[in-house]
Amino acid sequence: MFRRKLTALDYMNPDNFHVNDEKSFRDLVVWLEDQKIRHYKIEDRGALKAVEEKDWATGYRRYLGSLNCPINPNERAAVLDWLLGLAVRFEYGDNVDTYKSETAENVRNRQMSGPKMVNTNPLDALDFQSPEFRDGVNRLASQLGVTQHPDHLVTLKAISKLITSRLSAEAMQNPGEVIHQGKAFPIFEADLGFETGDPVLNNAGKALRLMYIHDLRNLQTRINESIVAVQTITANPKTDTKLGKVGR
Amino acid sequence: MNVEGIFYVNDHLEKLMFEELRNSCRPGSVGGFLPGMKQIANVAALPGIVGKSVGLPDVHSGYGFAIGNMAAFDMDNPQAVVSPGGVGFDINCGVRLLRTNLTEADVTPIKERLAQSMFDHIPVGVGSKGIIPMTARDLEEALEMGMDWSLREGYIWAEDKEHCEEYGRMAQADPAKVSMRAKKRGLPQLGTLGAGNHYAEIQVVDEIYDKWAASKMGIEEKGQVCVMIHSGSRGFGHQVATDALVAMEKAMKRDEIETNDRQLACARIKSEEGQNYLKSMAAAANFAWVNRSSMTFLSRQAFAKQFQMSPDDLDMHVIYDVSHNIAKIEQHWIDGKLRTLLVHRKGSTRAFPPHHPLIPVDYQLTGQPVLIGGTMGTCSYVLTGTEQGMTETFGSTCHGAGRALSRAKSRRNLDYADVLVKLQEQGISIRVASPKLVMEEAPESYKNVTDVVDTCHAAGISKKCIKLRPIAVIKG
Repeated sequence: MFRRKLTALDYMNPDNFHVNDEKSFRDLVVWLEDQKIRHYKIEDRGALKAVEEKDWATGYRRYLGSLNCPINPNERAAVLDWLLGLAVRFEYGDNVDTYKSETAENVRNRQMSGPKMVNTNPLDALDFQSPEFRDGVNRLASQLGVTQHPDHLVTLKAISKLITSRLSAEAMQNPGEVIHQGKAFPIFEADLGFETGDPVLNNAGKALRLMYIHDLRNLQTRINESIVAVQTITANPKTDTKLGKVGR
Repeated sequence: MNVEGIFYVNDHLEKLMFEELRNSCRPGSVGGFLPGMKQIANVAALPGIVGKSVGLPDVHSGYGFAIGNMAAFDMDNPQAVVSPGGVGFDINCGVRLLRTNLTEADVTPIKERLAQSMFDHIPVGVGSKGIIPMTARDLEEALEMGMDWSLREGYIWAEDKEHCEEYGRMAQADPAKVSMRAKKRGLPQLGTLGAGNHYAEIQVVDEIYDKWAASKMGIEEKGQVCVMIHSGSRGFGHQVATDALVAMEKAMKRDEIETNDRQLACARIKSEEGQNYLKSMAAAANFAWVNRSSMTFLSRQAFAKQFQMSPDDLDMHVIYDVSHNIAKIEQHWIDGKLRTLLVHRKGSTRAFPPHHPLIPVDYQLTGQPVLIGGTMGTCSYVLTGTEQGMTETFGSTCHGAGRALSRAKSRRNLDYADVLVKLQEQGISIRVASPKLVMEEAPESYKNVTDVVDTCHAAGISKKCIKLRPIAVIKG
């Protein structure tokens, strides 16, 4: 709950917060006052910070009253939402210059231009749009025999698929088992099942058919594997030739 | 007639159809079934039928519906009916084809031993009993679960289920709707081939017409050895059909359903009798799949023993398993609208085109494999489904040769010793339980399967892929 707002405020462990857990609720209220809201003077925060005390609730009510919180103190989720909103507003007020440029348009542009960055990832330093990176991807593609897409990030995705499925450690050791052996099927001579009137669209339709069949084959293989797994427990085939009788 | 009746023929088959019609119209001829052509017309007059009543090239007269007749009924029409005659007595009679990585040269030296080994493993004939121990409780579970039962017990491979029509299980099966009598008849018969036109054959690839489709089925070259199993639900399905016919006669009176032929007993799909039949028919279908699965297991054992190799190493995968006596709920386009239909296929095989969602992923590009069993000593074929078949015949095609002479007439006209000698001359090893009945199944008693298949291919309702020729036959 409140994951987005907690993340925005840099609260530790925003994924694990539960509003119904008494202790984490109290801790969060104290943390918000201490770090973000700072309504009381430090020396006045004693009653609120005594999170282990039985009458913490009294101090909590008084605190909400002095903030002019319009929400019933017993509706904790609503109260927290309001407190978090307040904290976010203060946070923004303190750093207007930093956040001013964060318009919806800018954020969208940033998301489109590169894979989502994880803070600890060393690849973050890379500029995915730089000509060097683009060239590198295209060189890798031509070495691996992957068709180049106008968007080099799409090409990169295809390369990654090829490497994880065909060039994994497992596949390199046992190519016969991992890589499906089979004859190429002349798909462009096969019946598509419908006719668009445009040969290019027809071929695209055939490619889509193949991708669908590929997915379906993987699903069926997993189903078969599950059946075999169950069979190892249940199977016990028997025959008894004494029962047999040939008819007239 | 509510819709048109049509049938597919070439010149030769056309002559046979009209001859059958003429014979039955001769004064003084009594008994027997109505001629196929009349039966197709009578079916076209049933309530709720949509599209057309279709006779496939192998059509010949049967109980109520002709064998080789398909008819679809509108699930949304409260008047629409289901008819046990449109499914047949041998519910979910069908064909299964296994491939191997052996060639004819590997098999020829031990052909006799292999045939004997198959014969020892798979009990055949009227009154035969299977060698897989089954209790009454096992049977109940098998009726409900179909091939999932065989899988659970470890008789078959996970891939077998993948390559089977309906994945080897009809979910609406309800063993509680099946009579005790049917279960008693069925219990000892699981894992047996039966009699009549049923057989297990060791075949070799004789011709490949569609290299790519064949390759998807794991058939790479001429001479490759396959095993074909043609069997059904034995006495169980027969009893289910008989019970349903009795119940439906009463329902017809109550609901005032009129048909042109007493044998076309039927009930409204939504009525209790109709629903009971569909649930017990599904149980019988499951029985047949378990039966063919048990024989798959036994065939693999027989081959493994003779070649001292595991079935895995012999690559004995199921190519496909088709049902040619069944009624199924399917969706089809009619006049640009998607409709839910109850499709009866009696002596007719489903043949869905490439990319149909109900066919296995491995055949998405080629279309569904359609297995056409020949008669004893003649060729068999593998076809694939086509888009044209989907629009013209609700995705259906022929199922086999189709009788040309009645059983009685075959017995009068042919001598069993001659039939056996002829097979031997062709280099076909044969093991039969009752040699005196083989003339009923002699190639002379049937239409020429090649004629039948060529007609389907020429009409575009399915496409030739592989031709198989028998080298050993096991029969009832």
